[in-house]
Amino acid sequence: MTTPWRKVVRDFWQERTRSLLVALAMALGIAAFSAVLSTYAILNRELNQGYLATNPASATLRMDKVDEEVLKLAAGDLGVAVAEARRVVSGRIKAGPAQWRTLMLFVVKDYKDIRVSTIIHEAGAWPPGPGEILIERDAFQVAKATIGDTVTVRMPNGEFQTLRVTGRVHDVGQAQARMENIVYGYITLDTLALLGEAPHLNQLKILVKGDALDKAHIEDVVDGLKKSLEASGHIVRSVDVPDPGKHPHADLMGMLLLAISSFGLLVLALSGVLVVNLLTALMASQVRQIGMMKAIGGTRGQIARIYLGQAFLLGLAAVAIALPFSVLGARALCQYLAVFLNFDMTSFAVPPWVYALVALVGLIAPLLAAAYPVAKGSAITVWAALSDYGVTDRGFGAGRLDRALASVGGLARPILLAIRNSFRRRSRLAFTVLTLSVAGLFFMSALNVRASMINTIDQLFASKKFDLSINLGTMYSVDQLQRAISRTPGASGFEGWIATDGVLLTPGTDGPRAAPASPGLHGGSGAGAAGHAGDAAGVGSRFAVLGVQSATRLLKLDIGEGRDLQPDDVDSLVANTALVTRYPQIRVGDTIALRMGPSESTWHVVGIAREAFSPPVAYVPRAYFERAGGHVGMTNTVRVALRGSDAESIDRFREALDPNLEAEGIKALSTTSKTESRYGFDQHMLMIYIFLVVMSVIIGAVGGLGLMTTMSLNVLERRREMGVLRAIGASSRTVWLIVVIEALAIGLMSFLIATAVSVPVSGALGDFVAQAMFRSGLSFLFDPNGPLIWFAVSLILSAFASFVPAWNASRAPVREALGFE
Amino acid sequence: MLIQLRGLTKTYETPAGAFTALRGVDLTIDSGEFVAIVGKSGSGKSTLLNMVGGIDRPTAGSVSVGGTTIEEMSENQLALWRGRHVGLVFQFFQLLPTLTVAENVMLPMDFCGTFPPAERRNRAIRLLERVGVADQANKLPSALSGGQQQRTAIARALANEPPVILADEPTGNLDSGTARDVLDLLRGMASAGTTVVIATHERDIASVIDRTVQIADGVVVK
Repeated sequence: MTTPWRKVVRDFWQERTRSLLVALAMALGIAAFSAVLSTYAILNRELNQGYLATNPASATLRMDKVDEEVLKLAAGDLGVAVAEARRVVSGRIKAGPAQWRTLMLFVVKDYKDIRVSTIIHEAGAWPPGPGEILIERDAFQVAKATIGDTVTVRMPNGEFQTLRVTGRVHDVGQAQARMENIVYGYITLDTLALLGEAPHLNQLKILVKGDALDKAHIEDVVDGLKKSLEASGHIVRSVDVPDPGKHPHADLMGMLLLAISSFGLLVLALSGVLVVNLLTALMASQVRQIGMMKAIGGTRGQIARIYLGQAFLLGLAAVAIALPFSVLGARALCQYLAVFLNFDMTSFAVPPWVYALVALVGLIAPLLAAAYPVAKGSAITVWAALSDYGVTDRGFGAGRLDRALASVGGLARPILLAIRNSFRRRSRLAFTVLTLSVAGLFFMSALNVRASMINTIDQLFASKKFDLSINLGTMYSVDQLQRAISRTPGASGFEGWIATDGVLLTPGTDGPRAAPASPGLHGGSGAGAAGHAGDAAGVGSRFAVLGVQSATRLLKLDIGEGRDLQPDDVDSLVANTALVTRYPQIRVGDTIALRMGPSESTWHVVGIAREAFSPPVAYVPRAYFERAGGHVGMTNTVRVALRGSDAESIDRFREALDPNLEAEGIKALSTTSKTESRYGFDQHMLMIYIFLVVMSVIIGAVGGLGLMTTMSLNVLERRREMGVLRAIGASSRTVWLIVVIEALAIGLMSFLIATAVSVPVSGALGDFVAQAMFRSGLSFLFDPNGPLIWFAVSLILSAFASFVPAWNASRAPVREALGFE
Repeated sequence: MLIQLRGLTKTYETPAGAFTALRGVDLTIDSGEFVAIVGKSGSGKSTLLNMVGGIDRPTAGSVSVGGTTIEEMSENQLALWRGRHVGLVFQFFQLLPTLTVAENVMLPMDFCGTFPPAERRNRAIRLLERVGVADQANKLPSALSGGQQQRTAIARALANEPPVILADEPTGNLDSGTARDVLDLLRGMASAGTTVVIATHERDIASVIDRTVQIADGVVVK
């Protein structure tokens, strides 16, 4: 090892406490970045092994009936490798005293020969026998059932039936049941018949031959198959071609990982600020050494390399500290996301390229941060360096700010001294305040985003003045409904609406199949305004069209532009924001054409309703359906307002309503309460909130370490001054207080900046997160608790970070302090 | 002649106004001479030494050392030139605290690449033997007395066998006995052919030096 390198190592060791603080701060950033990068690499590999191994269907064709003839036709298609029949039926499930839950029943003909979208058997019976149901492993917690239990199932036909839970399966293709608040059940055709449903299948799932990851190829095959089936007299209701090989939650996962890795890089950048502070201080304290090295022949480059060596060692230490934590972090993150994505991890092995990249970033980041202070510090001339009297502070008093600070009075002199001291090293102060402010900013943003999300969801649900949606599936007389509901205690009002699906025909659209689908809440159980349980799978360009009762009292749309529907409207349409986002060409005042079923119609867009987190919906007067469809006095979707909106009242009403509907001969397809619809939103919101709070805690830790480094450097540089203070009578306590008050002043400055900036930033951040996750904006709401809490946190953090430096300062012997140069 | 100063003037701009430390100094020093620059504090002794060592640049005039005109060189060229041609000794020793005594002596060789890496330590030990502190070679400077530190600084100044040694108050921080030892060391070097220039307050140095240059208010008076 050359002598300059020995100096690098020994200087690093001499400054080990401060170096360790900086390395720790950097390690936080590197660990976060590395954990996310590892998670990304691991999940990509595991998703391929887990999700793709289930042979997810290239396409699903929804038909009236999929029988042997259809399967034979499909299997005979040159482009089709495998064709299988399925059926998905919605219903409700209840285990013991638990509440009714939404049930999604998957009907499979032959469990021993599943080749598309396979299901993994985990425990109990396989296949399920007649009268038996298998439940998806995550859904057990939603159903609150165990293997061996008997559950009650209610089908759209109104039939109640008890089924025995005989096994547990893992369905990788389904979203996490807990997040969606749905029970996924698996039955045979025999059990479907027992449930009173026609024992046939209606979904054709296919795997294409050739490039199964080429969407255009899949669409070509599906087009050909559809034509062939239709030519044979079969009806294809809809076609769903998902992004090939892409897990349904892959986008969400990507967004989440992008957010965390961006955050990791942010922490790394902030910790770079600490490197700047440390090296600036180190070079300032060694200015004579620099002069001496130059005097004996050291060039600027050679000197710079010595101090860049310090930065290199900092990076090395940070990477060494970070890697074990990143491995643990990646494991935890993978496990969390695997549960979220509903698949199993087989290996947590991190690919070597991740380590290489992390090491590279970890080593380069401090070098970049050090570049400026090193370039500046090594440029000093020998004369200037050797004329320098150590690390004594120079320059305070020359600027306007200094003079302004000097004119501040009315406080005890030690406090004034502490406040003025905080402004002596401006760059260091700026960097430290920046780091702490960012931490405060994230914390307050987390609270503001949470408050805004709650506010937005509140607004969304406030527009819906009903508690229960009843999806009837087919048309019933409103009078029949009225009789059933009026006999059921608890209802305060109801309206019968008409729901259908529409397709935009206005020129300029990309056509039904090319139009992007809006995911809503993963296209999941849905809080859709239309309340369409049947739309759960989401069909490309289709969107809900809801015929609302004239002068409705159960829907008060939040109109962002134009106007709401009026009682005498006939061909007026109000689009919600999700529909306008999907079709930006829809503007207030436009006339658009829709196809609903076989008929086409034109509509005047009179307004745009703000509906965050909703799927696309067009609101029209139900009078249209009465006039054009002859559905006078009919309804297929009912909204009920209850006197009590709590879960118990809703459940009680549901229980009581069922026999009354049956007495009127009405079979409800599904019922969804506002509470159930909201559950999914709350779960997602909680995830974002926790993420932001964790971020602010980590950045707060970096800020705290930064403040600790700053105070430690400030104390080091002012040891002689401390000695003078002690010499003229300051007690240890006074010296200690001066240091702590200086840190508190810095904490206070960061608090003020963070509070001022948090309003615009958290608004933008909330919009960004909500757009990325839900493709929807937020109604901003400032949470006043944020500044209050952060004020306390800033002061506690400042006091904590300055405690040890202040203690050291107050304990230094006067003689030693005065002799310090 | 080895060192030649012609019309050397140095003016500093300070907040209190311009301050001229040297005013048109002309001076010639031959090879192997041991010259003492004497004068009161603030007279310009250190500034003159800084000019010769390329530590500072003149406002006017020229400095030539061994035929090299100092003011024409860049900072990096000056650093390399200084490392090879000038040995510097300071009042406060200026050893690097995190390097051992031997490593401090090896550092100029590392910077200038003047000796093969494998030979540098042996050479440092030989130089330390010459100044009488070889037994301290593996200690850190903080473990040494003032005299030992200054001896180490002299060994470091000799590391690259420079033809010129410039010493700014080398005995200013030492007791009289140690100061005498240090001056004797410098005398020995001059006798061996090295040009030694020291700035000093010492009165009793006539016995060791060849010539005295007295300076007052930036002007050579004798």
